[in-house]
Amino acid sequence: MRLGVFVSDLRGNEEMLDRLEAEKLGVFLVENGIYHAVIKEDGKSSPVIRKEDAEYYVLTEDLQTRGFTSFEVDSKVNVVTYSDMVDLTMETYEKLVWL
Amino acid sequence: MGKEILFVVSRPPYKSENPKLAITHAMACYVADIHIDEEVEPIVAFVGDGALNCLKNQRAQEFYGLISTEQHIKNQLASDMKMLVCKEDLQRFGIKEEQLIDARDMGAEVDLEVVYFDEVLKEMERCNQVMFF
Repeated sequence: MRLGVFVSDLRGNEEMLDRLEAEKLGVFLVENGIYHAVIKEDGKSSPVIRKEDAEYYVLTEDLQTRGFTSFEVDSKVNVVTYSDMVDLTMETYEKLVWL
Repeated sequence: MGKEILFVVSRPPYKSENPKLAITHAMACYVADIHIDEEVEPIVAFVGDGALNCLKNQRAQEFYGLISTEQHIKNQLASDMKMLVCKEDLQRFGIKEEQLIDARDMGAEVDLEVVYFDEVLKEMERCNQVMFF
């Protein structure tokens, strides 16, 4: 299964995300989920972006709305536009879920 | 002596309306005294994840077609509203003071005050009413 997972909150996603497994797993950080890509609480990366076998994406529009730029994004995370995200969800992932 | 109301914002911006509601309610205090015949002083404190509201360069107008939370905060600072942000939470997020919103370009004479959480607790005790958003 090629699974795309949307994370749109700052809190409460880690446990479920940790349990999800897929042949290809993509995590889309949108809305308040973008904080996982830029904030290092107590100097540590968010547990949401610590899954080794996952591909991470952050939506640039949501990032910039909240006062961040792509330069501040963790190197594990790909910065994508809304249009890129539509392409990814249509072509790369066959199932999509929203945590 | 007037009434003091503390609005505590503990959620990040945009996903919910709560932070903006807190700020607009605080703003409404300035006209409430006309109706209740009592002076009302609003204070807003950003704590926990709410500290993320205080980052400058928010581009909500461009991407969401919304007035940004930043602009709401600037309007209040320009009206001399007392606004606090928790120092421990800024440190936890790695946010520096130079990344915070200010309204100097609008002629504001006050800035967001970076304070320890103890100061927020003191305000909670001092104010007549406290509301969490």
